[in-house]
Amino acid sequence: MNGVTPVLELNDVAVHFGARASLFKPLPSPVRAVDGIDLSVAPGETVGLVGESGCGKSTLSNAIVGLLRPTRGSIRIQGQEIAGANTALLRVVRRNVQMIFQDPALSLNPRATIGSAIAEPLAVHGIARGQALKDRVANLLEQVGLKAEHAARYPHQFSGGQRQRVVIARALALEPALVVCDEPVSALDVSVRAQILNLLVDLQRRMGVSYLFVSHDLAVVRHICDRVAVMYLGRIVELASRDTLFSNPRHYYTRALMASVLEPDPVAQRAKTRSMLSGELPSPSNVPSGCAFHTRCPAATAVCTAERPELTVRPDGALVACHHA
Amino acid sequence: MAGLTVEDLSIDIAGASVVDGVSFSVGGGEVMALVGESGCGKSLTAFALLGLLPDAAEVTQGHILLDGLDLASLSERELRRLRGSKLSIIFQEPTASLDPLATIGSQIAEAYRLHHKVSRREALAKARAMLVSVGIPDPDRRLTQYPFELSGGMCQRVMIAIALICGPDILIADEPTTALDVTIQAQILDLMKQLVAERGTGIVLITHDMGVVADIADRVAVMYAGRIAEIGPVDDIFAQPSHPYTALLLASVPRLDVSPKERLATIDGSVPSPERFGPGCRFNERCPLADGRCRIDTPPLLAHRPGHFSACWHADRVSEIARAAA
Repeated sequence: MNGVTPVLELNDVAVHFGARASLFKPLPSPVRAVDGIDLSVAPGETVGLVGESGCGKSTLSNAIVGLLRPTRGSIRIQGQEIAGANTALLRVVRRNVQMIFQDPALSLNPRATIGSAIAEPLAVHGIARGQALKDRVANLLEQVGLKAEHAARYPHQFSGGQRQRVVIARALALEPALVVCDEPVSALDVSVRAQILNLLVDLQRRMGVSYLFVSHDLAVVRHICDRVAVMYLGRIVELASRDTLFSNPRHYYTRALMASVLEPDPVAQRAKTRSMLSGELPSPSNVPSGCAFHTRCPAATAVCTAERPELTVRPDGALVACHHA
Repeated sequence: MAGLTVEDLSIDIAGASVVDGVSFSVGGGEVMALVGESGCGKSLTAFALLGLLPDAAEVTQGHILLDGLDLASLSERELRRLRGSKLSIIFQEPTASLDPLATIGSQIAEAYRLHHKVSRREALAKARAMLVSVGIPDPDRRLTQYPFELSGGMCQRVMIAIALICGPDILIADEPTTALDVTIQAQILDLMKQLVAERGTGIVLITHDMGVVADIADRVAVMYAGRIAEIGPVDDIFAQPSHPYTALLLASVPRLDVSPKERLATIDGSVPSPERFGPGCRFNERCPLADGRCRIDTPPLLAHRPGHFSACWHADRVSEIARAAA
């Protein structure tokens, strides 16, 4: 990273659920929602995290913002360890990492004005009070394309796209180094998605914030991300720059995902060969041996069942965990 | 005529016109997509087809004809006989559509026994055959399982089995793949295509996803604020959109086959709520081509090419938008 401290650095992060010992029963096998993730995000960079439901992408983002404690591994925000940090330290670190969730209607208190929603993090951290706080809120509203006088309104008086703008303003109030965006446009109408994506890009240029962009929508990820990590059953199976990943996907799971993306163009869509990815995601409480993808992979051989492939560097810089790619 | 025909359908809720003069038809073996954003009236239109509108909604004009039979003239009893046998529906959230306390087998068999006088045993045999044809492996075990034991994709296959077990002429699919992962979505769309080809079922597909439309539809009706903005063959609509809304919608979707761009084209503002529908074209507030006439007079649906209609006073200038956005 050329000596620059990464905004986010994950080292062998794992989050397991539900393995509680009992006197009478043998220890059940834990749900390995996230199992050994190494990933870093540089200042001003957008890293995409893609995968299907159950791949662990939301669990990982919750661990990064401190909503879940990792079972093992290290999570550093601007060089500061948050895994195992105490509440006081967490509060300080959290100033630098904020989160935007999928559904803006569920992220805002319906009984609080949006002005107070945006002011709250500033007040909690003692950054501004009185008129200075009001000015700051007005400024944030304008930054996200709303008007200062909107501060007195309630969430229900806004459309879905406007509410997501409010949530973005609140996330950026503390000028965080990293914003974790968990499916930030999936709940929005198609015609509004482009507005929000453009806004996220504009704000990044203006403020230099980094994004960890969690999404299942590959077309959106390709549009907005510099690097992309593909997750399958709690692990990263491929990590590469956007152009490398999309022009030359190597892992069979990445290829299958790309083949499943529907092009909004009937001629192109008909010409596309459909991936015949059979079957469904196995349960993360019973992850297949070896390469977790071998049960659905068209290229799987004996070695895939026996040995788990590690992420290895390919000539173009891509990291791929596959015996055959 | 065979198939389903909707003529000039209008629906009001509390005095607001939420569906206004919608007409389209779908024949056997054909997939007709109703595409639009939330609030465009696509789901209400679908519910009206089955006579399942909420109490607050009222059909103020128009006809729904199934094989020439006007559904409005039927009693509730007659309608019930039609639902499931000639006209079926599948919903977005398959796990919410299934009874959590009944086995998969009994739920599929129930749909069959409602319309056929057969024994439970015969109905279960029929259900088993149906599970096989919707591509569910190990059908004997699945028949005895409960919905929570199946994945979302499997539940949607079960819903399709229930919807098709009586061999309906028309299947209404309301966002059938929206809740599913992309790889599973591809499997379900393939299944629907196969069923259309094999059984000659006509599908009315409700969706907001232009990718789904491009993949499976033969014809498309683009809806905006309760009206059809544009209707025609799928290739024609995507290649030469003739309504500014369609053109902008297509330009604002990030695509894999086009190089990533600095900015996406956007449509300013958001969909107006029904109580705010003004006179004239309902898209005029957000439309870059709108002028005085658009704010006063409602444009009629006019043919631009064979079978391709759009409701825009400036349809001849829509290509400018597509070019500017590209």
